[in-house]
This record gives sequence, C-alpha cells and structure tokens, in this order.
Amino acid sequence: MGAWEFYITTLLVYFAIDVLSAYSLNLQFGFGGIINLSYIIFQAIGAYVAASVSLGPDTGANAFQTYLFGASLPFPLPLILATLAGAVLALVIGSFGLRRMRKDYQAAVLLIVSLIAWQVVSSDTHLFNGSNGVTGVGRPLGTTLPLSSLGYQWIYVVWTLVICAVVYLLVRWLSVSPWGRALRAMRDQEDAAISLGINVTALRLQVFVIGGAIAGLSGGLLVEYIGAWSPGAWGYAETFVILTAMFVGGNRNYKGVVLGTLLVPILFLELPRFLPPFGYPGLIDSLEWVVIGLMWMASLLIRPQGIIPEKRNLVYAGNFDGVLRGRSMSKLSLRRTQKAEAK
Amino acid sequence: MIESEKLADAPVERTASDGDGRVVLSARDVVVRYGGVVAVDGVSFDVKAGEAVGLIGPNGAGKSTMLASLGGQAKAAGGSILLDGRDVTKLSAYRRARLGLLRTFQSTSEFGDMTTFENLVTAGNGFKGASLTSVVFHRKENSRSDREIAGRAWEMLERFDMTHVANAYAKELSGGQRRLVEIMRCLMTSPKLLLLDEPMVGVAPHLVEKLVGDLCAIRDEGISIIIVEHALEVVRALSNRVVVMSFGKKIADAPYDEIVNNREVQDAYLG
Ligand SMILES: Nc1ncnc2c1ncn2[C@@H]1O[C@H](COP(=O)(O)OP(=O)(O)OP(=O)(O)O)[C@@H](O)[C@H]1O
Ligand SMILES: [Mg+2]
Repeated sequence: MGAWEFYITTLLVYFAIDVLSAYSLNLQFGFGGIINLSYIIFQAIGAYVAASVSLGPDTGANAFQTYLFGASLPFPLPLILATLAGAVLALVIGSFGLRRMRKDYQAAVLLIVSLIAWQVVSSDTHLFNGSNGVTGVGRPLGTTLPLSSLGYQWIYVVWTLVICAVVYLLVRWLSVSPWGRALRAMRDQEDAAISLGINVTALRLQVFVIGGAIAGLSGGLLVEYIGAWSPGAWGYAETFVILTAMFVGGNRNYKGVVLGTLLVPILFLELPRFLPPFGYPGLIDSLEWVVIGLMWMASLLIRPQGIIPEKRNLVYAGNFDGVLRGRSMSKLSLRRTQKAEAK
Repeated sequence: MIESEKLADAPVERTASDGDGRVVLSARDVVVRYGGVVAVDGVSFDVKAGEAVGLIGPNGAGKSTMLASLGGQAKAAGGSILLDGRDVTKLSAYRRARLGLLRTFQSTSEFGDMTTFENLVTAGNGFKGASLTSVVFHRKENSRSDREIAGRAWEMLERFDMTHVANAYAKELSGGQRRLVEIMRCLMTSPKLLLLDEPMVGVAPHLVEKLVGDLCAIRDEGISIIIVEHALEVVRALSNRVVVMSFGKKIADAPYDEIVNNREVQDAYLG
C-alpha cells in the first residue's frame, strides 16, 4: 500500500509541475503565437538556481560536486530566486531570439539556443557540475515538518496544486485582460496590431518573460522534490512532450492543456511501467518518443484545435462579461438577456 | 516596462477642425524602393485637418506603397514625412499610430481567431490596453473604461447591422464583412488621420453608401482621410481633392472635377 501511495503522490506532483509548464507554453503559444522550442531551459535554470542556493556548504558527502557559494537559503527563497532566474533568462534570450522574423525561423533559433545551452552546461563542470549535475538538494522544511515521509508526500502534492491554482488564476486573469486581447491580436495579425499602436516587440518580450518565470518556478518545485538535477532531465525533447500535451488537449484553452497534460506526460508516459518488458533494453523508451511524435502529428491533422477547443467569448446586447471577464453566461441569464434583446 | 510608455501617458491633442487649414500631414519628396524598383518616386503633398484626399492611379502606381511609407510599414529611402509638423520619418509604425495615424490594409487584416466584437474592443482598448503596467496597476479605471468601450463597440455593430455576427470569429465572416470590421476598428479609435487602402472592395452597395456617409461624418469632425480607391464615385463623394499617381510619380493634385478632365490623367488612368 505504501509503495502505491508513494507512486501516486509522485505522479500528482509531476502532474502539477507539468501543468505549470503547459500554462506557460499556452500563454506564449496559444495567446502570443510564440513557438518556444527552448522551453525546457527555463525550467532547467529554475531548478539549478533553486538547487544552488539551498545545497549549503560542501560537507564532503558528495565528493564530485562543486558547490557554488554554499548558501542554504530558507524556504521559500529558493523558489522565488528560481522564478526570477527563469524571467531573467527569458529576458536575455527573448531580446535576441524574438526579433521580428518569420515564425518558423524564430522557432528554429529557440531550438538551437536550447541545444547550445544543454551542451554548455553538460560540458562545463564549473557551472552546474556538468553532466553529473547536482544532488543532495534538501526538501523545503523537510526537517521542520514532523511528518512521516508519506505525510510529507501529500503535503508536497497539496503545495504544488496550490501553486498551480494560483498560477492558473494569474494567467487566466492576464489572458482575458486587454493585454491578453492585444496578445491574441498580435498572434492573429501582427501588422494590424502594430497599426493600432501596439508595440509588438515589447508585448512578445513580456509574454516570454512571464512564461519564463512560470517555467523557472516549475523547475524550482521539481528540484526541491526530486533532490537532484542534471542535463539528463532537460534534453530539448522534453519541451516536445509538453507541446504535444498542449496540442492534444487543446491549446488556447486552459482546461484543454490540463487534460492534455494528464493524457500525455502522465498516463501515456507512465503506461510502459505496467507493460511486460519486451525488446532490447531502451527500446520502450525510444518507442515512447516515436509515439509522442505521432500523437502530435495526429492531433494536428485530425483535430488541430485539440480535444477541448478555444472557448468563444460570447456577448449579448448589454452583457459584455463574456469578453471583458471571460465569463460564460448561465443558461438562465442567457435567456433573460435574449428576452430583453427581443423587446 | 520594457518599452518606454511615456507616449502612452501623454494626452494626445485633438483639435476639432473648423477648416482652419492647419496641415496635419505633409509628405516631402518621399522615395520608396523595393530592391531595384522605385515604387514611390519623389511624391509630395499636404493634407489639412478635416480634409479627405483621394489617392488614385493605375495598378502598380505605388499607391499602397505611398500609404505604407506614411504609416511606417515601408521605409522611406528619401524625403520626409511630417505629422503635425513633427518629423516622423524615422518613427516606427506603432509610434506613428499612437500619434493618431491609423490605417487599414489592402488585403483584409482582421484578427481572425477573435470574434467580431473582440476585434472592435481590442481596437477601442488600443495601445493603452496593451500596456501591462496599465492592466496591473490601474484595474479599477480600466474596468470602467472597458465597459464604456464595450458599449461603444456594440453601438458600432448596430450602426452597421452587424450585431448578428458579434460572436462570429472574424475568419468566419464574408469578405465584405471583414472590410467592415476593419473600418469599424478604425472608427473605434480616435484618429487624427485615417489611411484607407481600397476600403470598399467587396462591401455591398447599400453599405458602401452608408460607409461613405460615415466617412464624411468623420471628416467633418476634423479627422483627415487619405483614401486609395478605384471606385471613383466613392472618391468623388468623399474627397474635395484628388492626388493621382502613375509609375511612382505624382502626376496631378487637384479637385475631382478638374482631375477627370485632365488629359494626362485620362491617358494614365481613366483611359
Ligand atoms: N513588397 C514588395 N516587394 C517588391 N516590390 C513591391 C512590393 N510591394 C510593391 N512592389 C512594387 O511596387 C510597385 C507599386 O506597388 P503598389 O502595391 O504600391 O501599387 P498600387 O498602386 O497600390 O497598386 P494596386 O492598385 O494594384 O493596389 C509595383 O511595381 C509593385 O510590383
Ligand atoms: Mg494597392
């Protein structure tokens, strides 16, 4: 029983963290039209920063590890710094990677950035301990909370889900705001958006930075949970898992991306654990990537809007909440408005 | 914020015109090149407050390119553009828009995955709405002005018999309806100068009349208009003055009646 509970709670934590990633990508792509193929490096920097500032001084326990400055900041500072790190990295990369150019070139630039970052961090042991990565990151409040390890698991589940809820409220509020509409206008017709006085360069950078901050936060949460982080965890292909989740579930719709996250990185990627092993070692892993690619293609061909499509913001004479607040109208108030309209 | 938003906060002066003859826009020897092609070749003209100018000429004459150089979409290789006496030649397109220079495009430019209503509200919000600082720090005032803008957007739809497609995505609209969305979008802002590139293409005849009426009303409010249009009856109804272009050059600049009797214009354009 204990093992199962441990497994389920772990999945729930991963789910919450992947949902954060999906929110971030959805804001950037679904609303801003930016195909961020370098997503994973923003999560990675969050993880590295949170790890570096909480590892503490070198005790000799992990002999092969270089310690950055021996800081061991109290909760929640590492998470805040992780969030900031994601934002700052996004600002730096966005200011050259988001120049006005064709969308496909932009995507290519971001993918290349992701590959370079991975190579550099893997090879340079002084940065974040190279390909071995960092280990021994303590869990936040792990010594203060007098709980069994299973109890702690559940606390972490609740904690990540709470953060998910808060981030959801934030991104939703932003996307129904005039700023969010300007974002969609830029996505649909950049020239027309500019000709309404919208500074699309700034807008793109803003949404990229906000997405980067959420990514950094997700990385911090992840490393504090698993206690270790290395290049093995953030290959460029990880970005594609989240993107696939977003496309399958329904980009531009927050419920859709949550559903996609449940289907792709959780249900689908966990499935092989329950299959009898077959083929040579590593075959199942490789097949997973093949199927991820197929899923992405299939969803674009069969149902490009995703399982749950974008919600239409409906308005009626005198009732504009659909557009101004993204609020759908109840059947009752709908009937009332229509009656009033008919008069 | 990332980009200076001082312009956003500066109140924009809008003087109601009483035909005071104040020059709003002045193009001086504007040259635009596409590689080897000189699309606009030293064109100059002035537009006064509340004046509507027709810009006509055969296909490929450089009319759209001229508008693009005024709007900032195309870079002028020579000459200068003054808006209210201020040199805006080096100013990017969005900054010119903030100064009150609004435009439509020859190919429709609706926000396709937004509803008709959202298209109008987005225009009404304008660049202030796109400002993150304003969204975060002025929530109360914004929610009030959002309601006011939404109300205006609905009235606009009523005015053009478009309430039945308020909730349609703009990409689902017909060609003529998309044109209307573009023009309504411009009307939602309060421009100083409107650049319209063939706004009547695909619009139903009875709506053309209505649109011309509306544009006349706008003009009489003191907003200047430059309209590129092949339908000469529209130009005649709206503009007191017509500029004719051919092969990138300005070949005439006179009242409509003179233009139609002008030999050179007839040769180049009217046939
Ligand atoms: N993006 C571009 N690249 C290269 N050449 C261009 C470009 N846009 C326009 N041109 C050229 O510039 C010249 C003027 O084109 P423009 O579109 O301004 O004409 P127009 O007067 O608007 O014509 P129409 O009435 O057909 O719209 C044409 O010779 C055209 O081929
Ligand atoms: Mg043209």
